[in-house]
Amino acid sequence: MLLQQLVNGLAAGCVYALVALGYTMIFGILGIVNFAQGEIYMYGAFGAVLTLAATGNLVLAIVAGIAAACLVGVLLERFAFRPVRGMHPLIPLISAIGASIFLSSLARLIFGPEDRSFPMEFHPHSYQFFGAEITELQLVIILVSLALMVMLWLFLNLTKHGKAIMAVAMDSDAAKLSGINVNAAYVTTFLLGSAMSGVAGILMAMYYNATAPNMGLLPGLKAFSAAILGGVGSIPGAIIGGLVLGVAENLGAAYLSSHFKDAFAFIALVLVLIIRPRGILGRQ
Amino acid sequence: MSVYILHVLIMVAIFAMLALSLNISVGFAGLVSLGHAAFFGIGAYASGIIMIKGLGFPVAFGSAGIITALLGLALALPALRVKDDYLAIVTLGFGIIVEIIFMNLDITGGTDGLVGIPPVTLCGNPLYSKPGFLLLCVVILGFMIVSMYTLKNSKIGRAWAAIRDNDITASFMGINIYGYKTLAIVVSAFWAGLAGSLYAHYTAYINPHTFGMHTSIMILSMVVLGGIGSIPGALLGAALLTVLPEVLRPLADYQDIFYGGLLVAMMVFRPQGIMGRVKITEIFGGAR
Repeated sequence: MLLQQLVNGLAAGCVYALVALGYTMIFGILGIVNFAQGEIYMYGAFGAVLTLAATGNLVLAIVAGIAAACLVGVLLERFAFRPVRGMHPLIPLISAIGASIFLSSLARLIFGPEDRSFPMEFHPHSYQFFGAEITELQLVIILVSLALMVMLWLFLNLTKHGKAIMAVAMDSDAAKLSGINVNAAYVTTFLLGSAMSGVAGILMAMYYNATAPNMGLLPGLKAFSAAILGGVGSIPGAIIGGLVLGVAENLGAAYLSSHFKDAFAFIALVLVLIIRPRGILGRQ
Repeated sequence: MSVYILHVLIMVAIFAMLALSLNISVGFAGLVSLGHAAFFGIGAYASGIIMIKGLGFPVAFGSAGIITALLGLALALPALRVKDDYLAIVTLGFGIIVEIIFMNLDITGGTDGLVGIPPVTLCGNPLYSKPGFLLLCVVILGFMIVSMYTLKNSKIGRAWAAIRDNDITASFMGINIYGYKTLAIVVSAFWAGLAGSLYAHYTAYINPHTFGMHTSIMILSMVVLGGIGSIPGALLGAALLTVLPEVLRPLADYQDIFYGGLLVAMMVFRPQGIMGRVKITEIFGGAR
């Protein structure tokens, strides 16, 4: 029972971690929270579901989902964030909130308010170990998430574009003086963060077999809580925060109250802010 | 005046109170809240439950304000350890938790909502007439507007403005930042609770959905549209965003898209809002 909840929590936690990475990267480089991260996740899921329904090709659907998420991310950067960059913190904040509402209500108009099921059946083969079972889908979610995290780490530390992003995050003026194209670094960051959120959205659309215009709201908020829990700006922090949150939420729902499942993330958030505001791995 | 117009005017007055109350935290002190509807709801439920239990309206009205202010204090103490974007998310989380609590408690009637809230009583006589209720709202709103101007120009208001514009400089001036920010949330919650009380006794029926994120965003849009920090702006924003959806009923599906687009467009093109002064842009544009 306990082990089972840990497995379920780990699968959800991996998805939170992917979205939390997007938050943390964009925060690290721009100093603002991208409120619309959850909406990018939702557009990723819709991109995949609609393409799969139309073509029946899973690979094409996944590519289309990621492309949709990236497109939304880049448009967001260009029209809601770039014009207000460097202004008083209230202004980009309200702009981001507005963009998030705009995107989710636009999706409700285009796609309709009802849930759509994932247009492909997965035969739930599951593996048993120590009395707990893990479904193939959970295994896929965990493996894909871990692979993406490793790829992100390699990209940021070993490639020229990745190092440019790290430099801009440390000091954008100094980076500009060293000949780094700062705008390109912003766009790359949004692309990476959006792509990971898009993958997270597709994975969740498969896992819960449901896609809806408001599906991004709660995971977006929980992922943000995860980013704070781990320490905002810290990439390993986002991963740990996501996993801890996913597990805590499932344990809370199993042992305390399932009605309040969605509230646990925020209770955890408030506790972190009281006890250790910089998060598990955050620096002062 | 037709009953319908009276109804719209009463809603304008209630939302004007909400916009003015949010303007205290967002406009005066620079604390963006995305959970303001939770305070509105706490006031509405508190007042409704107290009156259903048999106490009179003045007691219910006053307690609604005080209970909401206390919960505002309970939110502010942990939440104000963070600022800006984090604070916005924490208040959003608070709003969601409060909505979940309204939906799951027995005393609030769960998802069915609270039914049979008695009307406002003045000196023991129930106030059923709409013009009478509108007059009551206008009197309370008028008192609130006067107190907003007093507050804005008082020592407290100037301390809030200093914190909003640059908190580090403000702390060098000897301003207790944490204390003043807490006060802003508490006062803001108090007035939202009073607005909630009026709303509950006016509609006689409340349900958790009314106090969700949609309403929080709507109140924030009112403040931003009118001009962050501007008192006439908050009134104008409340009037516009209450009357427009009534006039444009056929376009109701587009309402949220409009709010979202409005917030982005206002920030990109006119951050000071309709009524805001140019000086505020300089403040908002310059300090980071």
